[in-house]
Amino acid sequence: MIVSSLARALGAVVLAAAIVALVLLALGASPIGAFVALAEGAFGNWYALTDTVVKATPLVFTGLAISVSFSGALWNIGADGQLVAGAIAAGAIGPWLGGWPRPAAIAILLAAGAAGGALWGGICGWLRARRDTNEVISTIMMNFVAAQLLSWSVHGPLIEASRAYPASTPIAESAHMYMFFSPSRLNLGIVLAIALAVGCYLFLFKTAAGFELRAMGRNRRAATFFGIPTARLTILILTVSGAMAGIGGAVQVSAITHRLYEKMSPGWGFEAIAVALVARLNPIGIIFSSLLFGALDNGSQAVQRGQGVSAELVQVIQALVIIILLAFDTPMFDRLRNSLSAAARPVSRTTTTELSDA
Amino acid sequence: MLEAFLSSSIGMATPVLLAAIGELLVEESGIINIGIEGAMLSGAFFALAVAYFSGSTALGLGAGMAAGAAINALLAVLVINLAVNQVVAGTALDIFAVGITGVFYHKFFGITGKAFIVPLIPKLRLGPLADIPLIGPALFHHNFLVYVTIALVPATGFLLWRTRYGLSLRAAGERPEAADALGLDVYRLRWQALLASGVLAGLGGAYLTLAYAGTFVENISAGRGYVALAVVILGRWKPWGLAAASVLFGAAMALQFGLQALGTTIPYQLFLALPYALTLAVLAIVGGQAASPSALGEPYRRP
Amino acid sequence: MLAARNITKRFGTTLALDRADFDAHPGEIHALVGENGAGKTTLMNVIAGRIRPEGGEASLDGVALPVGSALGALKAGIAVVNQSPMLFERMSWEENLAFGGFETGRFDLATVAANARRLAARLGFALPYPGTTIDERSMAERVRLEILRALSFEPRVLILDEPTSVLAPSELGAFLHLLRRLRAEGRIIVLITHKLSEALSVADRVTVLREGRVVERTRPAETSEAELARAMIGELPEPQTRAHLAGGDEVALTIENLSLQRDGHRILDRVTLSLRAGEIAGLAGVDGNGQSELVEILARALKADSGEIRMIAAGGDAALAVIPENRDLVGLILDMTLWENLMLSRPLRERATRRAWLDREHAIELCAGLLRRFGIRAPGPEISAAALSGGNRQRLEVARAIASDPRVIVAHNICRGLDLAGTAEVHRTLSEFAAAGGSVLLISSDLDELLEMCGRLFVISAGRIRETAVSERNAETLGMLMAGSWT
Repeated sequence: MIVSSLARALGAVVLAAAIVALVLLALGASPIGAFVALAEGAFGNWYALTDTVVKATPLVFTGLAISVSFSGALWNIGADGQLVAGAIAAGAIGPWLGGWPRPAAIAILLAAGAAGGALWGGICGWLRARRDTNEVISTIMMNFVAAQLLSWSVHGPLIEASRAYPASTPIAESAHMYMFFSPSRLNLGIVLAIALAVGCYLFLFKTAAGFELRAMGRNRRAATFFGIPTARLTILILTVSGAMAGIGGAVQVSAITHRLYEKMSPGWGFEAIAVALVARLNPIGIIFSSLLFGALDNGSQAVQRGQGVSAELVQVIQALVIIILLAFDTPMFDRLRNSLSAAARPVSRTTTTELSDA
Repeated sequence: MLEAFLSSSIGMATPVLLAAIGELLVEESGIINIGIEGAMLSGAFFALAVAYFSGSTALGLGAGMAAGAAINALLAVLVINLAVNQVVAGTALDIFAVGITGVFYHKFFGITGKAFIVPLIPKLRLGPLADIPLIGPALFHHNFLVYVTIALVPATGFLLWRTRYGLSLRAAGERPEAADALGLDVYRLRWQALLASGVLAGLGGAYLTLAYAGTFVENISAGRGYVALAVVILGRWKPWGLAAASVLFGAAMALQFGLQALGTTIPYQLFLALPYALTLAVLAIVGGQAASPSALGEPYRRP
Repeated sequence: MLAARNITKRFGTTLALDRADFDAHPGEIHALVGENGAGKTTLMNVIAGRIRPEGGEASLDGVALPVGSALGALKAGIAVVNQSPMLFERMSWEENLAFGGFETGRFDLATVAANARRLAARLGFALPYPGTTIDERSMAERVRLEILRALSFEPRVLILDEPTSVLAPSELGAFLHLLRRLRAEGRIIVLITHKLSEALSVADRVTVLREGRVVERTRPAETSEAELARAMIGELPEPQTRAHLAGGDEVALTIENLSLQRDGHRILDRVTLSLRAGEIAGLAGVDGNGQSELVEILARALKADSGEIRMIAAGGDAALAVIPENRDLVGLILDMTLWENLMLSRPLRERATRRAWLDREHAIELCAGLLRRFGIRAPGPEISAAALSGGNRQRLEVARAIASDPRVIVAHNICRGLDLAGTAEVHRTLSEFAAAGGSVLLISSDLDELLEMCGRLFVISAGRIRETAVSERNAETLGMLMAGSWT
């Protein structure tokens, strides 16, 4: 099971890389040069390696947000906005935490982030549960509202003292995340992310509530019939999903930026969809797929510097990975795989409908 | 001032309405196209790039439509032939479009720093109509794409509710297995709807670069494709409803510039967020998807 | 003459049709009977060009029919009326009929409507108001509209796939009359059915399919119901358990004045009913008269506008198990494992939950036990429900209900689509449950089933419930009651 999942994910990435190589050739760049630069940028030295982990951190949080909501067939396309909302809440409260001991200040900052994200996701959950409004549309709309709220915040109410730059007042030093191996940017955030992933795994696969969520994801009508409180679960899960993305935003403020800027997310909420799909929505798998995409993000900047290919190439790869994985999970490819693997395997449960049943 | 505001509202509404009309067609055929933003963005970029290098606006418009259609063709393979999740596939194509236009933009223009500018499509005064006070300049002094778009509104209504083809398309979105049993080719109908929608979204994108901005900046569509999705819901899947909802959004965008020009202290971000907040508010009030096609968003596999 | 020769069709590893031959002549009603899964629908789908067979050919008047083309078969003169009407609910009936052959020129709904009215008048029925949508029409009207659409192509052959299963008994007479009229026009009428009495009463000839093979060709005058049944299932059905359990005086569940409105329509109207311990009570009704909503309310998946449901029996709400009618869409989650499907039942889930943690081992063990006890053919608890056959899915549902230790079971159309053996088994399980003091409310549109199983019998029509007197318990009177003669 794990082996086949891994093979599937690696296959998708390799196939995506092959297509990107063609794009690079079309652009007149050397694919080999680009991939070497990518690998060096991601893993080439200690700093690159640690920064890959740093770049993976927000992806774990948003990836978990996607994993939990998609497991319930709640199509949350708004992890980006939820992360930004969390960052805004953290950035707003951060400057006022000077008087608190460090653990408390960090906890308050993260709690604020969770609350901001929870609000953003919860609104969409409420709209879905009580007003029968498609969560796809509402979460997308909330992304834009969050982006404008952030822009207004750093130009207006939260602007730093000199009022010269669109950035907020720095958060108090007591709210700075615990850092490891200075001068690297490695920090406690990744540990929190991993802990949260383990928690999500236990919730989804070991608890009764997680079972109810998965049942709702597979068949909402049946779940409702058997007394699973789908409306309540919808609000709860989109709230929790938003909170996790929001914590991701707060961690970013606490560990990396220490203040708000006009743009806080390069699209982590969307990238998270690729992250979650590679992991087949499995929270533990998300830790690893986040590292993969973190490496891509990190390496792509080296590619831009060295090879003159813009960093947006990463988005092409993300999109291709999603598309290829979607295609991998269709019955057509099942048949293809079955006809390729002559070795008879014991009957196992079907997994093809993992993402096609909503 | 009011004239300028009205005129600007119509101008802003046009690309959204173009995309929304296309989205209406696909939704009536049973598909929700989240990739519409990507089709629009690709249309915007390739329209400008081709217009810039060829010097021909017409070629640029053609390229924009072709780019939109190409994105939607990719989506069609995924959601029609492979029957994968429409939301996830559409989102993937949105990401893809941001990536691919970004890469090409930097390749051609970003690094050299050349001015990436083309002349705007000229405005046409519709004879004496344009001289009517207030509505003249607001409605009858625009580039031809605006008039095409307005004409598309009743045309779409006619196509969907007054022709056999429209009936078939709606049948595919209402109950695909029944449509199939009646000998309709559901796959082909949905492919056609997606291609048409790609052409319209691409044209909407081309409008942004060739008729509005005259240049390309990264992510120039800025969520207008997503707004088109909202417009279809707000317009209750009726062409004139779509037009009204688009103008509402156009007005909100125009208001932002109008008020900035007036020098108010109201933050402009409020107006940028207004269309989205408005959509949410209206959805919260009218709620529901009761008017949407029955099989919307459900993957269909031919028996 | 319609002729099919040597038709063979496989689905995966199952042989759905095995060199089946079939003949039908103009001016005859030909009944094609067989159990579920015998291949009746598959055979007709091959003839109608919807399925491409592995072998064999079909012809009409000596001309080979196009293979695998529904449109081609239609053009050649073969029209099909589907098991459940293939209509578009949110379109008007005119728009639905526009998919027929009422007009060939310009798209014009007025012409469609006028031509349809003419044809309907010829067949002896009226059409609804202009512009009304299908979702407001009754099942009988839908079936008629679909027949009208099929006839608009002026077909030589009309194939009707189990059309009577959705009709009220009172609508049946008019329907069979319509079939005879179509026969008189010289058409070939093929009636697919598993109801032997119907086949014998209306058909001129009968062909019996069993496991994909034609096992009998006969005429009603030369055979009997028992003989046909033996041909269908290969042996005589074991004598039915005639339960008729009426229970004692102890009340297990009361439903009082339950009312529900939806979009201004009254769905349930002051429904009042009580169930006694040890009884099997029946609720007869034509589909769509409020049964589904009543079941959802009992399952607590839907809130009534007013009224009350009270569990008197020990155990409270947890002792009420509801088996919904739609096995594949509501009763089970096909792409979850068998043990996960058991966990859908709230009492079972709660028993397997230790402080929020779901005890997987416990659930798997429970599932394995039930698979053995109820003879569910499955490799094990960890396979997905989609891998089960229809009969085994139904057994799983009944097993799940029994395993939750209920005092009351509400079962809605649970034997629909089951073969005779499967039905008998489900009935035996329910009878044993009632005999041990449980109460069963059997909701069904199958009068034979209800008359056989139930002590007390209620009828639901247009959301209102009425208890029947013993003197009313015959098919004819019940048919009138189901059609709403009393509301």
